[in-house]
Amino acid sequence: MIAHRLGSMQTLPAPMRHFDETETVDYCIVGVGSAGGVLLQRLARAGFRVVALEAGPFWDTEKDWVSDEKGSHELYWNDLRITGGTHPLALGANNSGKGVGGGSVHWAAFAPRFHPSDFRVYTEDGVGADWPLSYWELKPYYELLEREIPVAGPAWFPWGDPHGHPYGPHPLGGVGDVLVRGCTKLGIRSVAGGPVAILSASHGDRPHCIYRGFCLQGCKVGAKASTLITHVPDAITHGAEIRAHAMASRVSLRNDGRVDGVIYIDRDGKEHFQKSRAVIVSGYAIETPRLLLNSACPAHPHGLANSSGTLGKYLMAQAGNVIAGRFDELIRLYKAPPAHALSEEFYETDPRRGFARGFAVQTVGPLPVAFAKQMITAMGAWGWGLRKVMMDYNHWATIGVLGEILPWEDNRVELAEEKDQYGLPVAKVTFNLHDNDKKLIEFGKAKVMEIVRAAGAKKIVQESRFAHLVGATRMGNDPATSVVDKFGRTHDIPNLFVCDGSILPTQGSANPGLTIQALAARTADYLIRQGDAIFFSNRRDQSEPGIRYDLSPPYTRFKGNPRIA
Amino acid sequence: MSRKSFPFRSTGGELRDLDQPGYYAGYSTMAQKRSWDEATRNVVSERVEKTPPIRFFSPEEAAVLGAVIDRLMPQDDRSEARTIPILPIIDERLYKNSLNGFRYEDMPADQEAYRQGIKAIDEMARARYDQAFAQLTVHRQELILKSLHDGKPNPEHETWKRMPVHRFWALLMEDCVTAYYAHPWAWDEIGFGGPAYPRGYMRLENGLPEPWEKDEQAYEWNAPVDSVSVLDEQGAPADHASLHGHGGSH
Repeated sequence: MIAHRLGSMQTLPAPMRHFDETETVDYCIVGVGSAGGVLLQRLARAGFRVVALEAGPFWDTEKDWVSDEKGSHELYWNDLRITGGTHPLALGANNSGKGVGGGSVHWAAFAPRFHPSDFRVYTEDGVGADWPLSYWELKPYYELLEREIPVAGPAWFPWGDPHGHPYGPHPLGGVGDVLVRGCTKLGIRSVAGGPVAILSASHGDRPHCIYRGFCLQGCKVGAKASTLITHVPDAITHGAEIRAHAMASRVSLRNDGRVDGVIYIDRDGKEHFQKSRAVIVSGYAIETPRLLLNSACPAHPHGLANSSGTLGKYLMAQAGNVIAGRFDELIRLYKAPPAHALSEEFYETDPRRGFARGFAVQTVGPLPVAFAKQMITAMGAWGWGLRKVMMDYNHWATIGVLGEILPWEDNRVELAEEKDQYGLPVAKVTFNLHDNDKKLIEFGKAKVMEIVRAAGAKKIVQESRFAHLVGATRMGNDPATSVVDKFGRTHDIPNLFVCDGSILPTQGSANPGLTIQALAARTADYLIRQGDAIFFSNRRDQSEPGIRYDLSPPYTRFKGNPRIA
Repeated sequence: MSRKSFPFRSTGGELRDLDQPGYYAGYSTMAQKRSWDEATRNVVSERVEKTPPIRFFSPEEAAVLGAVIDRLMPQDDRSEARTIPILPIIDERLYKNSLNGFRYEDMPADQEAYRQGIKAIDEMARARYDQAFAQLTVHRQELILKSLHDGKPNPEHETWKRMPVHRFWALLMEDCVTAYYAHPWAWDEIGFGGPAYPRGYMRLENGLPEPWEKDEQAYEWNAPVDSVSVLDEQGAPADHASLHGHGGSH
């Protein structure tokens, strides 16, 4: 038998435990992405009986993944969704994942922390919402996950809560050089070589980066972290089961107001029921609210755990405008990881700018198909004009705005009338920009254009777009205005949890992956600490669990997180 | 009038029947395929060696769309043997109803959008020039398409009252570039390194070529004199922003 490969050196532990369908497990987790992978690993290590349902395949990275844009189409959630509003979000590629590892399989892997101010946006700026926890409660989990992933980056990251990184920074590519050069000319601080969840040196059974530039197509090398290779193998070793091609259709509710399992459909269209003592939904910002809405029943007519009426609301995407500059010299933007230099100099609110919150400036590295699409929109290119501009591909550098768009009630996920291939109503996503968002985007766009110009670009164009999706199953202390509490437990149902990007109350200008994983590790600690109480009691203990340092995957219990100050 | 239009270089006349357009003469990504991993080699080789048959479009639809694609992604400078298939790739996607994960609420499903759009373009040609689109001169074809690009269909057609013309344009253009720039011959044209696992890249800065890449040999390249599909130096109209699938960046 040929081993199932997870990166170029690691193999999937075999055999994987299989629970009988009639067996009641402790936890059924829906979705094995950034959060689901970490939860599964923690709960399995702590000895719980855990089954995870994943709608997509269990990737064999050597067989299933290719160094090719078009050939990587299956990494995304390509099923139908309807998108609308004044600024409709493009879905599918970029902001969704389908398969074990979820979106962490194709993230660019920037892994910055949120800033302390992100957790107090309403208190500090009177907009958005406060989190039910502070940065300082999450900080030990940031440090822990930075070691488990592990994150490579500068020894001194000067913004937010300044910190260092366990692995050293990566060498600079052409686009990073443009970012650093432009920022330096303007007196803006920048960092290079990270923070990214990509190995700059070999680690356990994972080799270091080879700088081939196909991060967004799934890292065949195994240098870029995804939960598929960082946490899933350890979960399997410790007795977790992952059922691939299992599309959850409903969370099942008992008469006593507690859930008792998940109904799902396998790849042959056959329906199954996995009984469990508790359920954790980790389907991300669209599929999580969709599943809970599709699980409506007489006791929860507007969707499961939706007594607040906020389920599906306060969806967020970050402004992701890409500024492309053409240089006389060659750049070859396809080399090096797309994510490798950034500035968070404009992250915090500056009252002089006339809007709340801010943005980050980050490198991006579109490969030819993605770049051609950007030229269609940014330059209106077609025909011979498109052929000509594409012949200059190697002269362009692309730098992105990553801007904080605030949570608004009218940005939401609902159910559409159309059905998917399983007969389930699909999601309808509505997205509108508000005044603060528009001002922030204009400012961010102009600032990045200034940086690219200072670096020496002779021609500069921009494309308006969005990146990442969070919110829609908001976390908060008040059951009237949020769906889950600070540990991800739904306010309405004591043994139903949500743990993924959908619980974020605000999004900052940081890529959300690291924060999602840190929150998952914290929720896992809470569940482990609570033990059987989750299964047999409706009591809600809100005390902090205390961080567990003994649950990390192998090779990751080294000292790290240097801070040179 | 000529059925074709050729770009030219300022010192050397028309560029036609080229095996490899662009500024990287002698560079071949496929020549590197032995250093790629097997899965990638299979996917890319199949793209070069096999062209899928037309199964979704009717012969009439295929004739119109084929002529449209010839103007949206012109390859008149490429030799017959080195023409990159686009229509068959779009046909295959629609035949399999392979979606990109979403549909704008004001758009019909992709399959329907293509059928309606093709019909509208051909009817516009007949209304304006009394000829099928495929029979028009290159220049007249470009004028009709430019009116769609500009969001001001000329002549007007009722289809564009039901289906936003800028969204249809984006759909069509994205499918064209997804076929063209996914092809290794296009990588050779633009000097893209192509697949690089397990070997990787070693010269990351200063745009330097790997030992197996070529340095740029630039010359002044110009679109055909009468083409209207040249770059608008002012950039895109405002409603061209943010239409496509946002894959590929952050």
